Amino acid sequence: MPPHLLTDYLFVLVFLLVGFVFATIPVLLAVLITPRGTGLKKLISYESGMIPIGQAWIQFGVSYYLFALVFLAFDVDVLYLFPALVAYGSFPWRDLIGIFLFVGILSLAIVYAWCKGVFEW
Amino acid sequence: MVERFETPPPVQLGILNQMLDLCRANSLWPMTFGLACCAIEMMAAGASRFDLDRFGAGVFRPSPRQSDVMIVAGTISKKMAPIIVTLYDQMPAPKWVVAMGNCAISGGPFAYEGQYAIVNGADRFLPVDVYVPGCPPRPEALIQGLLELEDQLTGGAKRNYLRRFKRHPGNDQE
Repeated sequence: MPPHLLTDYLFVLVFLLVGFVFATIPVLLAVLITPRGTGLKKLISYESGMIPIGQAWIQFGVSYYLFALVFLAFDVDVLYLFPALVAYGSFPWRDLIGIFLFVGILSLAIVYAWCKGVFEW
Repeated sequence: MVERFETPPPVQLGILNQMLDLCRANSLWPMTFGLACCAIEMMAAGASRFDLDRFGAGVFRPSPRQSDVMIVAGTISKKMAPIIVTLYDQMPAPKWVVAMGNCAISGGPFAYEGQYAIVNGADRFLPVDVYVPGCPPRPEALIQGLLELEDQLTGGAKRNYLRRFKRHPGNDQE
């Protein structure tokens, strides 16, 4: 490895170290110079002063998860249309057919979800 | 006198503590909660006409984790008292309590024989630093109370260098 590459990595190391120190010092300072509250109920989660009921680890309806996945399918559709539009140009008809093929293949994910009955709840 | 439930900081230097107290005094962050009609006056004190922000104390926080002043604004029912204690416990130290209005000071009009629902004063269960009398107190009174708290922190009006104007006309000796 050429030496100048090594110094480049050294810069990264120095950057990491400085970042670590920069993040740690305020935390340490706060621990050292602030008084600490020792109230009995300090560490329970904040529910406007009420005692929390049950745990945060509860079951959610699975349809929310499916909803997120379907959104992802639409989202990826839109995302991939941007590069397609940038490449669109010299051969309009060929590119149009290409885009329709592309979107059609991507839409199969939605069709699959449709067939599985995701849209019915 | 109620115990404060605070451990002192590991590092204590006189001048450093004074500087920190000066900083704390000039950016008191009250917690957003009201118990009764005093809260209306507290809101007025925070709004544009009376403008608590002039004194650095207008940043009402919606969570006790971010606030250091608890303004007990109103009547404390026996049902509400443990909730207020929880909120006080959840505030990070250093923290201060302002008892606003007669109810929070001593029960006010609810302090009578055979009364069964109201706690007669916040200092029965919280370490109160400043009492603001009134039923309800005017917003100016609350502002005066917070300035009093700042004076307690910095050790007197003369020590609070960031206040360039005279706060106690005719009472500069203190």
